[in-house]
Amino acid sequence: MLQQNSSRQNWVVGVDVGGTFTDFSARDLTTGRVLIHKRPSTPDDPSRAVLHGLRELTEKYEIDPGAITRFAHGTTVATNALLQRKGARVALVTTKGFRDLVEIGRQVRPHIYDLQLDAPRPLASRALRFEIDERIGPTGEVVRELADTSIDALVAQLRKQPEIEGVAVCLIFSFLNPSHEKRIAAALREAFPNVFVSVSSEVQPEFREFERFSTTLINAFLQPEVGRYMNRLKLEVGTVAPNAEFGIFQSSGGLMSVDRAAQFPVRTALSGPAAGAVGAAGAGAMSDIPDIITLDIGGTSTDVCLIQAGKTAIASTRDISGFRIRLPMVDIHTVGAGGGSIARLGSDGLLKVGPESAGAVPGPACYRRGGTLPTVSDANVILGRLPVTLTGGGMTIDRDLAVKAVAPTASELGLSVEKAALGIVGIVTSNMVRAIRAVTIERGYDPRKFVLMPFGGAGGLHAADVARSIGIKRIIVPHAPGILCAEGLIMSDLQEDFVASCRVRVGGDMGTAANVVADLVKQGEGWLAQEGEGALENRLVLSLDMRYVGQNYELAVEVASGSGAPALPAAEELRAAFFAAYLRAYGHYDQQAPIEIVNIRLRTIAKLPQSQSATENPVRKLAPSDTKDVWFDEAGPVPTLMFDRSGLPVGTAIKGPAIITQLDSTTVIPPWAQITVDAALNMIMEIDNV
Amino acid sequence: MSEIVIDPISLEISWNGLKSIADECFISIMRSAFSTNVKERHDHSTAIADAQGRLVVQAEMALPIHLASMRGLTKFILDRYGSDIHPGDVFIANDPHVAGGTHLPDINMAMPVFEGARLIGFVANIIHHADVGGAAVGSMSGGLNEIYKEGLRIPIMRLYSRGVLDQDLLTLLLLNMRLEEERRGDLNAQIAACKLGVARLEDMLREHGGDRISAIFSEVIARTEKRMRKAIASLPDGVYAFTDYMDDDGAGTDDIKIAVKIEKTGDRILFDFEGSDPQVPGNFNMVFNATQSAVCYALKALLDPNVPNNQGIFDAIEIKAPLASFVNCIAPAAVALRANSCQRVVDCVFGALAEQVPDRVVAGTNGANTSAVFAGIDPRTAQLYVYLETLGGGMGARATFDGKDGVQVNITNTSNLPVEAIELEYPLRVEEYSLIENTGGAGRFRGGLGIRRTIRPIGHVCEFNGVGERFVHKPWGLFGGEDGATGRFYIRSDAGQVTELAAKACCVRLEPDAVAVLETAGAGGYGPPAERGAAAVQEDLASGKFSEEFVKRYYPKAS
Repeated sequence: MLQQNSSRQNWVVGVDVGGTFTDFSARDLTTGRVLIHKRPSTPDDPSRAVLHGLRELTEKYEIDPGAITRFAHGTTVATNALLQRKGARVALVTTKGFRDLVEIGRQVRPHIYDLQLDAPRPLASRALRFEIDERIGPTGEVVRELADTSIDALVAQLRKQPEIEGVAVCLIFSFLNPSHEKRIAAALREAFPNVFVSVSSEVQPEFREFERFSTTLINAFLQPEVGRYMNRLKLEVGTVAPNAEFGIFQSSGGLMSVDRAAQFPVRTALSGPAAGAVGAAGAGAMSDIPDIITLDIGGTSTDVCLIQAGKTAIASTRDISGFRIRLPMVDIHTVGAGGGSIARLGSDGLLKVGPESAGAVPGPACYRRGGTLPTVSDANVILGRLPVTLTGGGMTIDRDLAVKAVAPTASELGLSVEKAALGIVGIVTSNMVRAIRAVTIERGYDPRKFVLMPFGGAGGLHAADVARSIGIKRIIVPHAPGILCAEGLIMSDLQEDFVASCRVRVGGDMGTAANVVADLVKQGEGWLAQEGEGALENRLVLSLDMRYVGQNYELAVEVASGSGAPALPAAEELRAAFFAAYLRAYGHYDQQAPIEIVNIRLRTIAKLPQSQSATENPVRKLAPSDTKDVWFDEAGPVPTLMFDRSGLPVGTAIKGPAIITQLDSTTVIPPWAQITVDAALNMIMEIDNV
Repeated sequence: MSEIVIDPISLEISWNGLKSIADECFISIMRSAFSTNVKERHDHSTAIADAQGRLVVQAEMALPIHLASMRGLTKFILDRYGSDIHPGDVFIANDPHVAGGTHLPDINMAMPVFEGARLIGFVANIIHHADVGGAAVGSMSGGLNEIYKEGLRIPIMRLYSRGVLDQDLLTLLLLNMRLEEERRGDLNAQIAACKLGVARLEDMLREHGGDRISAIFSEVIARTEKRMRKAIASLPDGVYAFTDYMDDDGAGTDDIKIAVKIEKTGDRILFDFEGSDPQVPGNFNMVFNATQSAVCYALKALLDPNVPNNQGIFDAIEIKAPLASFVNCIAPAAVALRANSCQRVVDCVFGALAEQVPDRVVAGTNGANTSAVFAGIDPRTAQLYVYLETLGGGMGARATFDGKDGVQVNITNTSNLPVEAIELEYPLRVEEYSLIENTGGAGRFRGGLGIRRTIRPIGHVCEFNGVGERFVHKPWGLFGGEDGATGRFYIRSDAGQVTELAAKACCVRLEPDAVAVLETAGAGGYGPPAERGAAAVQEDLASGKFSEEFVKRYYPKAS
């Protein structure tokens, strides 16, 4: 590689902080050169690994830190704060009569048969939940005025609680008329300048009060912690890369500014996994594969996401650690099935795998960290699919320990350890297939029309089995499966979502809806002017939540998209778009029944400069490093060639059985499959008809 | 039958496949049904049964009360039609006395699956329809005293015969139910889910073949029974008894006794309801299937919450209930509100086994399926509206923690409707939705609090029908814990006048200058109050969930 003139370098750096590793991906926009780096995470203060890794990256590759123009960050700070319930001491202000609403929730138990399992206690204790006398009605009308004296009384009450760091203001029907919330928020901000105030009509102005209140309360809970982290990180990274624009990755699949992230930290709750899905879409695009099912297999869980026409599916509601969030989020379905999942015999005598996991510590038995229970990784080692020495040499694997762990289960089943291991892998495969069914078949998509993209450390180990079980014919293994999240970060654009509730019949007087669209466009354009500086191109996407009148369940339907301001399409067009979406989701639709709009959404995207990555093509194909006996089915082991992926140039074709290893992941090619390496250095696996 | 042996690994994988089918059908109904009751409250279930009508798999989110109904339906189909069952048939039924149902609003459907000419099994589902006709809107009012008043009775009938819809039957059904369009939408969702499940099961059949699928069905059931029996065997042998009372039947009978005696020997367990009261005129009676659902729920929750729901559980549990009694009623007993009685049966089983499983048992719960129906003519549209809600209450205290406040208990776990959804949809205003102070019984661990919901009609006069339980018989404490508070319904006018309503309130006129206040029961405490920790007592006070007076009375040392 030629020495770059540093003044012409233009680096974008993506940093994804995971539980075990902090991954770095850097791309020079001038040349397309891509560099990757990995270092252990520092969970007590994630910014330390970010900073150290950034220095290591620039030193190792002689990057001019001043030439880093963009720094895109995926963070788990918010997720961990929720999981560990380590956030701010927060208060809640709500409409009179509804102090307990966030505690009652939807009045259901997490599990109908488990008498000992409760929903988590609300993030604001009851003593810190205050009612205020006011009421907005269902058309936005004021039913009870909010008196200034009530606000004064509230301020006085809060003064008695000096330890409060955040307040969530959550009033009934505030999404239709935010005036009361605004007055309260203004008074609180004035009276308590050091307290973070989250307002439900700003965080998520949509109907269904519990979901809106819960999301707002989570936001308030996260604000101090995430805000501090963001500001510290910005300051510290600024000392290394003074010219870098900062972007924080949000759960909905785009970047936002640090200021917005500090204001709406709840939007980062799914930051990391969402980045993986965006990375997957990007890797697919390089191979001209637009329809993808992702299979991100980690130590304890597997994340699955549907990507259609290059776009990740979006969900509107999700529970994290028992706390409900209603926001647009990349629709990732998680199952408790991963490399560390533990195999055991259930009380019905059947073999079960997961959701219990050996985690990172003690981990699978084969990793020699003290684990003794049989796991999926141990089964893969026994079958010869997970090589005893991984490339890079960082981790050594002990097959004897794996055998020792699986042996008791095998003897209980009356099977050899190899056959028991096949059983473990077969069952974890069927668990993963259930996850794929949930995001495809149960939502009206045929999985056979998609290409499976495995990533994460163990994706490539199971992808062929999973694909065959569900009838998928093609698999794309990205060039760097272990750092796909960081890759997703550097190819992301700035993005912001706006929503307004607007209940209007399609085909009736749609003037209000048109006004709402115009208002959202105004907000969107304001955001673009403010935050989208330096963008190449703007994109505005209008979608409507629509339903049949009388139904209580909406479908989000995209109705317009382009670089200019979208207008509300005519009723006929809306109807057709709704029917198509309804047909896909439910298999039928009613042409006669009246339809209504419930919410109007505008997504604004500021396209950032990107470049094609220029990954280095290996000079020549290396011979297989070894031949090993590997079990693919009950017939017994077959001699299998082992390849190092760094020795597989464009155009390489390998017929299974073969195993391909690289830095942090392994790909299994069974006897009934073959791969070719395409121009983007992605491996395309074809599954034979069986 | 077949001698095919299914190894434990293939069985687990195939079982996963069957669960996916039931789940997919469940989600399909949830998404395509028209009624709020299904879409928001998920008051429906799906299942797969084998060729003998034995239940094999139920959807993950299916409801316990629907378990026995679906099993009942397939049994009745086989009894009635025998070999006259064909591909493309869709059966429909709801009657508790002649068709395996447990109350009329639960409309059952089932569709057979064939391999060639051989019947392999059934795909079945249930939706609780918001109205099936009868004397009262919603078909669930208190005070109805024979099943004819509760709505349209559907015996087992063919809605589709070899793929052809019986339009006459559908017309008859729809004519007899209120909100025809919603009914049609929900019935269509059920039909679509039947067809979907059959198509999926046919895919599996092509892969495995009928012999193997049948063997898988049998093995699933046999293993579940074995697992359940193993859990039963862990209980100490002995005879345990408990008695509790329902407040009333809304038709003049008070203090209805439910008595259970449990005889446990080895891996056998018998629930004998001898001594329970005869069936009552009001609509709280349980058909045997309903009692069976409640007993199975209770035992599973106490012993092995994750045991799969299928025939294997029924096979492991023996139940004796005197014919024509409250817990095994016969026609023409009215049954619409049997869920309340099922809740009490669960409490009884918990009470009987408390000493045997003190670490897992729950003290007396709000023990009801409190329901409220508001109906009237919406002044904005001049259309009839019906708003149905079920309310949670206190959950009993447990060995190591307090009872949960304001939650659905035992066999029911349906969501509430969002306040904003109610007010957007109906001419009603929810003025309060809160936990009620002092309603959880004191104890080392305290009982959960009841819920208060206050509703006002806007711009019109509406009709209120409500059903409450544990308004008289308190949710009991365990091992020295205090009883929880009872519930009540009343009307409060803006002038401040309070009118108490019956627990089974029928056809109450509600003016716009008054609110209906619905209060559900709390729940019982666990262990002597004297053993409650000081920090917990402080929290009771600080949270405002308990008054100073309450704390002084029950925890004099801690306060």
